[in-house]
Amino acid sequence: MNDMTQSAFHKPKVVGQRTPRVDGEFKLTGRAGYTGELHVEGMLYGYPVPATIANGELEALELDEALAMPGVVDIFHHGNFPKLHRSPNSMGHGDQVSEVRLPFEDERIYYHGQYIALVAAESFEQARAAAQRVVARYRQKTGAVSSLLDGDHDSDEEGQLLESAGSSRGDPEAAFDGSAVKIDEVYHIAAESHLQMEMHATLAEWQGEKLVVHESSQGVFYQRNAMARIFDMPQEHLEVISHYIGSGFGNKLFMWPHAVATAGAARELGRPLKVVLPRQQDMMSGGNRPASRQRIRLGADREGRLTSVIHDSTTETSLVDQYVDACGSATPSFYACDNLAVSQRILPVNHGTPCPMRAPGEVSGIFALETAMDELAVALEMDPVELRLKNYAESDPSSGLPWSSKQLDKCLQSAAERFGWAQRNPQIGSMRDGDEIIGYGMASCTWFAGRQPCEARVELRADGTLFAACGTQDIGTGTYTIVAQTVAELTGVKLSDIEVKLGETSLPAGPLSGGSMATATTLPAVAAAVRDALSALKEVATGSGGAFEGADADSLTVADGAFSDGNRTVSFADVLAANRLASVNGKGSSAPGDEQGEYSFRSFGAHFVEVRFDPGISRVRVARVVSTMDIGRAINPPTARNQVEGGIVMGIGMGLFEKLDYDPRDARLINSNVADYIVPVHADAPEIDVELLDYPDFKFNEFGARGVGEIGLTGIAPAISNALYHATGKRYRDLPVTIEALLADQRSA
Amino acid sequence: MDDSVHSSPNKSPLGTGDGEPLTVNFTLNGKATSLQVAPNAVLLDVLREQLQLGGTKKGCDHGQCGACTVHVDGQAMNSCLRLAAMCEGQHVTTVEGLSRDGELHPVQQSFLECDAFQCGYCTPGQMMSASALLADERIGTDDASVKEAMSGNICRCGAYKNILEAIQQARLAYDATAERGSVQRKEGAA
Repeated sequence: MNDMTQSAFHKPKVVGQRTPRVDGEFKLTGRAGYTGELHVEGMLYGYPVPATIANGELEALELDEALAMPGVVDIFHHGNFPKLHRSPNSMGHGDQVSEVRLPFEDERIYYHGQYIALVAAESFEQARAAAQRVVARYRQKTGAVSSLLDGDHDSDEEGQLLESAGSSRGDPEAAFDGSAVKIDEVYHIAAESHLQMEMHATLAEWQGEKLVVHESSQGVFYQRNAMARIFDMPQEHLEVISHYIGSGFGNKLFMWPHAVATAGAARELGRPLKVVLPRQQDMMSGGNRPASRQRIRLGADREGRLTSVIHDSTTETSLVDQYVDACGSATPSFYACDNLAVSQRILPVNHGTPCPMRAPGEVSGIFALETAMDELAVALEMDPVELRLKNYAESDPSSGLPWSSKQLDKCLQSAAERFGWAQRNPQIGSMRDGDEIIGYGMASCTWFAGRQPCEARVELRADGTLFAACGTQDIGTGTYTIVAQTVAELTGVKLSDIEVKLGETSLPAGPLSGGSMATATTLPAVAAAVRDALSALKEVATGSGGAFEGADADSLTVADGAFSDGNRTVSFADVLAANRLASVNGKGSSAPGDEQGEYSFRSFGAHFVEVRFDPGISRVRVARVVSTMDIGRAINPPTARNQVEGGIVMGIGMGLFEKLDYDPRDARLINSNVADYIVPVHADAPEIDVELLDYPDFKFNEFGARGVGEIGLTGIAPAISNALYHATGKRYRDLPVTIEALLADQRSA
Repeated sequence: MDDSVHSSPNKSPLGTGDGEPLTVNFTLNGKATSLQVAPNAVLLDVLREQLQLGGTKKGCDHGQCGACTVHVDGQAMNSCLRLAAMCEGQHVTTVEGLSRDGELHPVQQSFLECDAFQCGYCTPGQMMSASALLADERIGTDDASVKEAMSGNICRCGAYKNILEAIQQARLAYDATAERGSVQRKEGAA
């Protein structure tokens, strides 16, 4: 952080400029190799067999018919799968997994879709055909818990209270009791599927005592570290590779049992094995956002100043692991209020283990909080924007620290103006267009800004090209491109002469692609590596036989891939050639620093939504979304905007469509397919207008970037439900707001 | 998978116990192709595994997501819903056949310029549907018609706005080419 004021990134030429993705052509021509389409010599195909019950025991597997089918090499299950070491599960050690139970560990069945066998065969068709002929006999138990929302668990006292996940300040209960205006409501959100387009996939190849694993992963180092423990081998004997990822949204952050099953089976088979989860299995056992139940109590005085905020959440976890979806994590920082409490409970259900899904916890919490704020605005007969500005937190009320940079007021004002909020008639159902009632709604949104330690390597090559490497991943956010932009900024080398390599554990250790942290984590390390390589090359240039022999290294300036002393300009390539060098290398690392104790770092934004509701057929459409985001600097504005726009689309799904349906009788997942689990399609996409404010956050890092992956999703669902209230007068506190719910309300109206 | 039609397993590496391998002859990306396929082999899997053309993506395996869209005789189709054996005599075009002589197809070019993708996994399917609809005179040229026609292609990254922009931008290139009279709008025999 020492030379930040002189940073090249204060007035950058490439960073912050529209840059087409450097990996774009590979993706657009079909040449980008995603895990599931890779092939290695001698490879077999694996097809998992999922449990068809959600609670009980596997009594017997009948394998004879399947084993006799053509091409079948073996079938792995509890009886013959190799005994492995216990799974680690630590964020601190970088070996967190998604589900700590190892595959085929015992014969108990905890959820529908749990793997009971894995068929290995010569062809995909053979493996699939044999998997369908495996016969399983179960002893099914009653009492499976199908959902937090199944009606039996809808109380404040259900589940296990996690003391460590709660926080409080002031005396929220007393302040609430004494408040002039009160809101006390309960909000439910259904479990969601990530439904990332590329299913989980593993290709495992043992090379002697070494193991190479191709995995569609948001965190290759985490998977390597976990696998090294499970297979009891040195980390350097393991390589995990993930060059292209058909997105993840959180469910590819940490390793799942299918990867362990694939690698274990490949070792037994003595041949490489590829497993691509069928979509149905991906949805059952590849992660979900758990259902949540939240109670929000808001107290305010007559002028609209919050006097108390109490946010109590319960979320699902599984019976084989503990996942906490911390719904209240943004609440303590959201509004200026002296009396506040947040609590968190978890309830085990018979599902595959939930996991982070885009803006985990906070997106659910913000739905409840921002819907409650709209309810408070109605109770106060106050404009919802005004209510938010009235309770504006000028510093972070959870820590007392100043914000590094917060422009939420500008977001609210700018988005309101572009949307035409001033034309809103607050009277319910008062705005009409033909058969449709128009509803306007808004919500604020936020996501924390974090950084992790990171290392990177850069190579300046004699052919004039530049190579940059970091063991992070590009999950579609554009990491390849922003790394190339960083290198170009500092060297003046053309983007087309810069090669970026990501997604391998043989590269310097990089961060998870998650939490909106990859940009702020990766780029400072890349910049440090570039600077290190440039100093190494300057030493060559000014040393014996160098192009600038005897000159002061500090006097050389860098532009367009060349050094200059004011008189002469010599390209990096010629500097290397003069000393007969093929390349020089630079290494860099970065980590969060002292700034972490001095400021609070968060991104903020505002969404304004127009819904159109046709009461005759109970049809609701999101017609228009206008948003302004304060994310610090966008390194590549079009890809950053694309993230926010994509978050908005996913938020429409959360608000109106998405729900994993578990059978209340036996906890089996009913809609484990893309037709019955509904996500937004082209026709659902509204007119979207996203503005990114440009207030670089140099207190956070020299790039001024805070990250942008999650924030667009937060705040959309409450803006929709608030707009629906404006249109219909009905308050929708349960997501998704289905057509069935709208229809029922129209009938009873 | 009814047991009553279960035939005796055969020894062929392509067999699955459900019948003898078949030979299928078709034109793939302009090249005559002859293959032995299992009778239950799906076109999508044959492309990705047997022919190792990974550009055509698997997203759901049963016709719900559109990631596997290819052109069969110029029509956009879900390759996961077609048995490979059904392609006898047909012209199949995949994303690998979209660009010609190293030049990006107008749809590929506009997808790049408009940032009409993120993870890129649904993108080949989006582009195959887009290039088919641009050549389909039954589909209106307005945004609503394009969105409706594209709604069989899910983009979970949610890049719909940019995809729409890219399609409408590519339309201009299509129209310009058509005016020069050199556009080949349909592949293969109609």
